[in-house]
Amino acid sequence: MWVTQKRLARDVARWREAGWVTAPGETEILKELAKGSGPGLAGALAVLAAVLLGFAVMSFVAANWQDMPRTLRLGILFGGLWAAYGTAGVLFQRGLDLFGHAAVLAGVAIFGASIMLIAQMFHIDGNPPDAVLMWALGALLAGTALRSNPALAFAMVLMVVWYWMESAAREAVYWPFLFGWAAVAAAFTWQRWLPGLHIAALALSIFTVFIGYLVNRGHAHELVVAAGLAAAAASFAGARIEPRFEALWSAGLTYGAGTAFAGLYAMQFLENILLYDGVQDAPRLIVTAMLSLALALGAIAWGFRSGNRALLWSGYIGFSLEILSLYFKTVGSLIGTSLFFLIAALIVAALAALAWRLHARETSEVTS
Amino acid sequence: MTLPRTRIWPAVAAVVLIQSAALGWMVWDRVSLLTSGREIALDVIPVDPRDMFRGDYVILGYDISRLPAALVPPNLKYGTRLYVTLERGADEVWTPVAASETYSAPEGDLRVVIAGRLQDGTGAVSAEGATHWIRYGIESYFVPEGEGLAIEAQVRERKIKALVSVGPDGKTALKGLLAGGKLIHAQPVL
Repeated sequence: MWVTQKRLARDVARWREAGWVTAPGETEILKELAKGSGPGLAGALAVLAAVLLGFAVMSFVAANWQDMPRTLRLGILFGGLWAAYGTAGVLFQRGLDLFGHAAVLAGVAIFGASIMLIAQMFHIDGNPPDAVLMWALGALLAGTALRSNPALAFAMVLMVVWYWMESAAREAVYWPFLFGWAAVAAAFTWQRWLPGLHIAALALSIFTVFIGYLVNRGHAHELVVAAGLAAAAASFAGARIEPRFEALWSAGLTYGAGTAFAGLYAMQFLENILLYDGVQDAPRLIVTAMLSLALALGAIAWGFRSGNRALLWSGYIGFSLEILSLYFKTVGSLIGTSLFFLIAALIVAALAALAWRLHARETSEVTS
Repeated sequence: MTLPRTRIWPAVAAVVLIQSAALGWMVWDRVSLLTSGREIALDVIPVDPRDMFRGDYVILGYDISRLPAALVPPNLKYGTRLYVTLERGADEVWTPVAASETYSAPEGDLRVVIAGRLQDGTGAVSAEGATHWIRYGIESYFVPEGEGLAIEAQVRERKIKALVSVGPDGKTALKGLLAGGKLIHAQPVL
């Protein structure tokens, strides 16, 4: 909770009046507050000055780049690389971790820029995705060796870009992505960084969803649904067998369900986008729509049950997205749509009644 | 998890050394190719005569970028490495005479072997007169800003040739541009 100094001073005065804090105690607390407020304005301005200086240096270099002999250019690139990581080392040593991570990111950025600029200098015309992969591996190295999570996050982003470039060139799934993904995901696990695991799960989900568009000329969404459901089922089972990895299982459940939903959504609304409403395959639409709604409801139910807020809200969003899209698409005919919604409403109402009865029974068991 | 104090500098050193080594390898690979490779001059086809030297990045096309299907082995995938044998004709123009998946040293001064990658797959049977697109790694030329227009004027009048360095394994590197036999654009290797 972000509490301002003024607010805290007012609160402490109030607590003193209520007798919870003594007068000398209040003085000490306020003294402590004034001390620990960080570098303050002077520090912030110093950082901004450093940033401006950095941009001045970069612009100067860019302006004179063409006139420099290659040796000088290489000297600047290597020097910049060493300076960035050296600065990171100094900052980490001083305990200024936040700035240290920024310096590591600067080093990774300079590494990437160096790859591009060296290629430009020597007219190297290799495979562009290879340059991105090299950059990703550099980011992975920096993130792992220096324990820098921002660098690892950037490494995952680069891996996804690398995958996108390679798969776009081939118009097919580029499976080696999974090796790169696994390397960065392993680093996230080793670092025990929870946001990193989410980034990894998100990247894998995106990869899976796109398989539906790349395999079998863009009609392999059934595979995506199956994969998503399998991941969700495995996470479900895993939570029972090995409750230790709770974070992993709840993430697996949410991302698996989300992937399956994305596949079902594509099957319903994105595949047949060029067909008129009259020609579409109504029975197939009904089945997939029912599956989508069941999935969303299941997510909501389990979200409540297990206290998984992400899953709960994903369920709500999925449900809303599904019925809105169905409304616009129409199920065969307008009357058909109305009938569909009526039946769905009846089913959900019945489920609500059932849930209420279970809840009532549970609370009566608890109180009796 | 953050880095323990004692491990900071060894970690920094490791990252710096490995990343510098990777970049250094890029540079050394090129420099050795440019200084010790065999020089040949290839005719350049402007890809887009209007935009050719606008900005600082130029796409160079070559006659040899399109190989007759008869020369290319069948059933190859996109990205397959091919070694193309070029022969120098009386008019100083290099034409492809053979292509294979393995490297074999060229015989004589009139022949040279360069490595490229297939940019479209070959089927079992090719149509009459079909060609396949090969990328040799010499298709990008970076021109300093402001110099492009001057060079473009020369392109319109005379034919531009690319000065290429060929290594013992068929790898190629761009050394500079020639117009009418004269070097109009090149930089010292280092």
